[in-house]
Amino acid sequence: MTSTDKIIDYDLTSARSQNKLVNLWYCMSGYRMRYLFAILSQGFSTVCKTSVYLLLSWFIDNWLILKVRTVPILMIVGALILLAALEGTFSFFANSTANYTAERIALRIRNNLFNHIQRLTFAYHAKVDTGDLIQRSTSDVDAIRRFFSEEAIGVGRILFLFTINFTAIYRIHPTLAFSTLIIVPFVFLIALGFFRSISKKYDLYQNQDAVISTMLQENLTGIRVVKAFARQDYEIQKYDQENWKKYQLGKRLLRMEAFFWPSTDLLCGAQMAVSFIIGAFFTIDGKISVGNYVAFLSLIIWIIWPIRNMGRLIVHMSRALISFQRVMDVFKEDQEQLEKGSVIPDKEPQGSITFENVCFAYQSEDGILKDISFSVKPGQVVAIIGSTGSGKSTLMNLLPRFYEYSSGSIKIDGIELNQLPRSYLRKYIGIVEQEPFLFSRTIGENIAYGVSEKKTLTEIEEAARAASVHENIRSFSKGYDTMVGERGVTLSGGQKQRIAIARTLLKNPRILIMDDATSSVDADTESDIQASLKNLMLNRTTFIIAHRIQTIQDADLILVMDQGRIIQSGTHQELSNQEGLYQKIFKIQTRIEEELEKEMCCD
Amino acid sequence: MTENFFDEEDFQGKVDRNTIKRIFQFAIPYRKWFFAFICFTLLTTLMDSVQVILNKFLIDQAILAGSKSEALRIVRYYGVTILVQAVSVFGFVYIAGMIGERIWYDLRQKMFMHLQKLSLSYFSVTPVGWIMSRVNSDSYRISDLVTWGLVDSSFSIVNILVSIGFMMAINWQMALIVLAITPIMIYTAWQFRLRILKEYRNVRRLNSKVTGSFNENISGIRVIKGLLREQENLREFNELTSPMFQSAYRAARLNALFLPCIQILSSVALVSIILLGHKKVDSGIITIGGIQAFINYVTSMLWPVQDLARVYGEMQQSIASGERIFKLLDTEPAITNIANAVDPQSIAGDIEFDHVSFYYDDGDGTPVLEDFSLKVKQGEVIALVGSTGGGKSTIVNLLCRFYEPKKGVIRINGNDYRRYKMESIQSRIGMVLQVPHLFSGTIRDNLQYGNLNATDEQLRQAAKAAGADDFIQRLPNGYDEQVGENGNLLSVGQKQLISLARAILANPELFIMDEATSSVDTVTENLIQKGMEQLMNGRTSFIIAHRLSTIKRADRIIVIEDGRIIEEGTHNGLLKQKGKYYHLYTQQFRQEKEKDYALQL
Repeated sequence: MTSTDKIIDYDLTSARSQNKLVNLWYCMSGYRMRYLFAILSQGFSTVCKTSVYLLLSWFIDNWLILKVRTVPILMIVGALILLAALEGTFSFFANSTANYTAERIALRIRNNLFNHIQRLTFAYHAKVDTGDLIQRSTSDVDAIRRFFSEEAIGVGRILFLFTINFTAIYRIHPTLAFSTLIIVPFVFLIALGFFRSISKKYDLYQNQDAVISTMLQENLTGIRVVKAFARQDYEIQKYDQENWKKYQLGKRLLRMEAFFWPSTDLLCGAQMAVSFIIGAFFTIDGKISVGNYVAFLSLIIWIIWPIRNMGRLIVHMSRALISFQRVMDVFKEDQEQLEKGSVIPDKEPQGSITFENVCFAYQSEDGILKDISFSVKPGQVVAIIGSTGSGKSTLMNLLPRFYEYSSGSIKIDGIELNQLPRSYLRKYIGIVEQEPFLFSRTIGENIAYGVSEKKTLTEIEEAARAASVHENIRSFSKGYDTMVGERGVTLSGGQKQRIAIARTLLKNPRILIMDDATSSVDADTESDIQASLKNLMLNRTTFIIAHRIQTIQDADLILVMDQGRIIQSGTHQELSNQEGLYQKIFKIQTRIEEELEKEMCCD
Repeated sequence: MTENFFDEEDFQGKVDRNTIKRIFQFAIPYRKWFFAFICFTLLTTLMDSVQVILNKFLIDQAILAGSKSEALRIVRYYGVTILVQAVSVFGFVYIAGMIGERIWYDLRQKMFMHLQKLSLSYFSVTPVGWIMSRVNSDSYRISDLVTWGLVDSSFSIVNILVSIGFMMAINWQMALIVLAITPIMIYTAWQFRLRILKEYRNVRRLNSKVTGSFNENISGIRVIKGLLREQENLREFNELTSPMFQSAYRAARLNALFLPCIQILSSVALVSIILLGHKKVDSGIITIGGIQAFINYVTSMLWPVQDLARVYGEMQQSIASGERIFKLLDTEPAITNIANAVDPQSIAGDIEFDHVSFYYDDGDGTPVLEDFSLKVKQGEVIALVGSTGGGKSTIVNLLCRFYEPKKGVIRINGNDYRRYKMESIQSRIGMVLQVPHLFSGTIRDNLQYGNLNATDEQLRQAAKAAGADDFIQRLPNGYDEQVGENGNLLSVGQKQLISLARAILANPELFIMDEATSSVDTVTENLIQKGMEQLMNGRTSFIIAHRLSTIKRADRIIVIEDGRIIEEGTHNGLLKQKGKYYHLYTQQFRQEKEKDYALQL
């Protein structure tokens, strides 16, 4: 666990307040002081900036106008450089610390999310939409990152600029200070309103962007259809229509922007003009000095212009908070406990398994499995047969505790299943899926995917050989280093399946579950897979889900399932002599062989 | 094109002037507008400098002179500059933005049109995602560069020049100091940008990997849980996110250091001005207002410098984008019509593959078809069977002229089909793919794809013939039902029926079908069979067949293995040979019957 502890430095699942701001506070754990330091540095930096202008004002009044030169010029110049350096240093601290916090928090959320997602229950994964979850993990996390790196610190900056510069002007002359505030509320409100309303138009524009993007994607994936019907011109015209619509929407968006910027410019400019004239009159009347007036000219800019950006920042911040909420919603879901269990065996299981009156139901649904009882000795092969939806796969999902049975008892080597940690079970249970999933890494890495300790190439090759896929892999120019997936080779269904079998072989499980492993493979490669499956089953308690009798005739126990119940069980010998579903299936199958025979001889 | 090529994110090499020239050519149709917005931009920045000068006058001629009327007069001028500026800001924001959108639109359209011309071989080696980034985002960067990039850089350059000009007018010696420091500022800013850009590149690269990891972590969850990979996955993920943090933080730190450095440089300029200026004030060479103006110019100089550096960084990325776009636009279609290609008006007639050999260019050059010969009579139905990768699809691709033979000739009606126009062949072929592809829109839209001028009655007839009418009628909106992205709101069987109806509507002279292997329910299966019957009737047909009924119905069965015909004949004849076909047939027979019974179970 130590490595996990290092990677997950703060467990976000424990941030469970109803209030998202409180959660945000939890999220900052460990970086709160740092962020506070960033904001304070921002303040110091602003103080230095303002001091430069005040020092200049003093310099103009005393040195240049009154010619009182008690302080040597070099000292003034030195002070200016020092202030500039201090301003720069503080601004550097502020920005780099804020960004450090932002990136750290983003890292924390990313790692937490990744880990959390892979530990969520199957029930959650069954209902969740992949695209949505990925969006939460990427763009929403990025919005949170920007909240800390730009928006929160930006608001802090504007507030400091405003307060400090306002105070400075107030010290020069109170009336002058208040005169700068006339348009502030207007600009602020216009900006807020503008960014609110533009975000609607912007969404519309973005949607149109998605429309043309989809159209392009469909055109590219369906390029054969386009060509086969020679519909290139039609496609171009169709694309042009939506493309043009986007252009029009973009123009509408622009018109708003083009009005907003100059109109606030005009307001801010008018404010400046008014302030200039008031300042000028005050100077002429001797209420303030010329140096003060010069300082005032510089300071007022730092009050007025930042206000205009407040609207944008506030809208972005409210969006970031929505993103934060979306991310935290994922953390509300419960994880599956991997290590928890009251019994922790110190050796691997023998593989004797008993089911006694086991029932299972998904939440708020009718029972999927009812009253399942059977037992298996170590090394035996159990076949399960039944129609789709009869509960075969669900039954197998109980063994690695992907789902929890609701009543009855399942025992492995005499120990109740739900007392054993999931990690223990999954370590010793191997699963070969109906449609194997390979990861986009090399074939060699895919085979070694299920084992934590490093495996040598010979061991990997051995597993591949046993799964009769070694020769196939060798035929690729990069052999075991061939990439799988979009950037790599296209593997046939049979090849994928055999790589998945090799992966399970290398894991060397005690208990094996094979979910209809040959159904997605074309007839030709099936025999190859059969041979490799035989290798895999050797000395292991094996469950086979199948719907072809020929593959399960040698099983030690055959369970026939229908509507969540076991309706028949026994060996092939027993079942084929017993009236019931199995016999019916067997008869049909025999008939098929007869029909085939007939067809061959009569034609 | 190597794997690496598609990975390349950014421009690495030297700035190619030719690329820049080509990029700016996209702006040529709008040169008048360009002239307009650049004028507005210049006007805006000119007003900025004038405002500083007006402040100088305000101090010197009004405040120090004690004249309120003069102050009012100057502020009135100030008001005028603000008005002018408001108008010119509106002008350049609107025009530059509009042109940007327009060029973006043009680029997308241009690339889309070019893509329609490219041959299938291009699409088989180029990932869809790669093409989409070119059309969607690279085009944006280009339009952004030629508009906002131009606005910002002309704004900055003019701002610096005008400021220096005004400073020169006030006092040339002091202006020279500023002039000396400006290039240092620009150079520093540029160096920072380069380093920041490098880190960002790294962040972007890692970020796309992080997204990929999330994707696999969700879609492969069963395997991950089953193999107990959680711990290891997290460790691997952290190996992506940690360097991403490092790079992002390094970039942020450089960014945080960047502005202070420029600021300190500008304060050096400020200090030099003071050292030099205070003596000049004493001797009356320069006024208080003049000093103030200098201070103002120098302290606001850092913004244009910063902008210039930013634009320069973005320009590098845009050039990389441009290169990738040109790469796409410069790709010639691998298959084109020969100079005097003709439209044959009809492609009905015998078809002949005469010693055809073929290999795919992206492969290792091993032939997919070798010395393949086949004669097909008008109206014959040919079933192509054999294992995956044997060359069945290649035969169909060659026939449709998606690819052309490397050796040998394909003849339609006795003529080399290369003498015909490509479109004239393809528009007369009806094709149904293994994985049916539909486009977003209504069912009607999709059917009309087969014949744009079809009447409602004809649509209906075609749907009926394909057995699709029944289920369409049952949908809430009938023929106007939306099929969703890629037709995903419909089942595979329904999509298949619609693509059959679409082919029927096209009334082709040659019918090609790649039968689906995925199972659909028996009822749909029968409907599909009927629809195929409709299409095969009287037409020369090539079917990549999987179902026994289709195979048995064919006039001739061709068994293909490793790019050669190994068996050929009728169903009965081939069975008697007890060869590959016999083997395939018995296996398929069992599989199909077993599936039938599994459905009944």
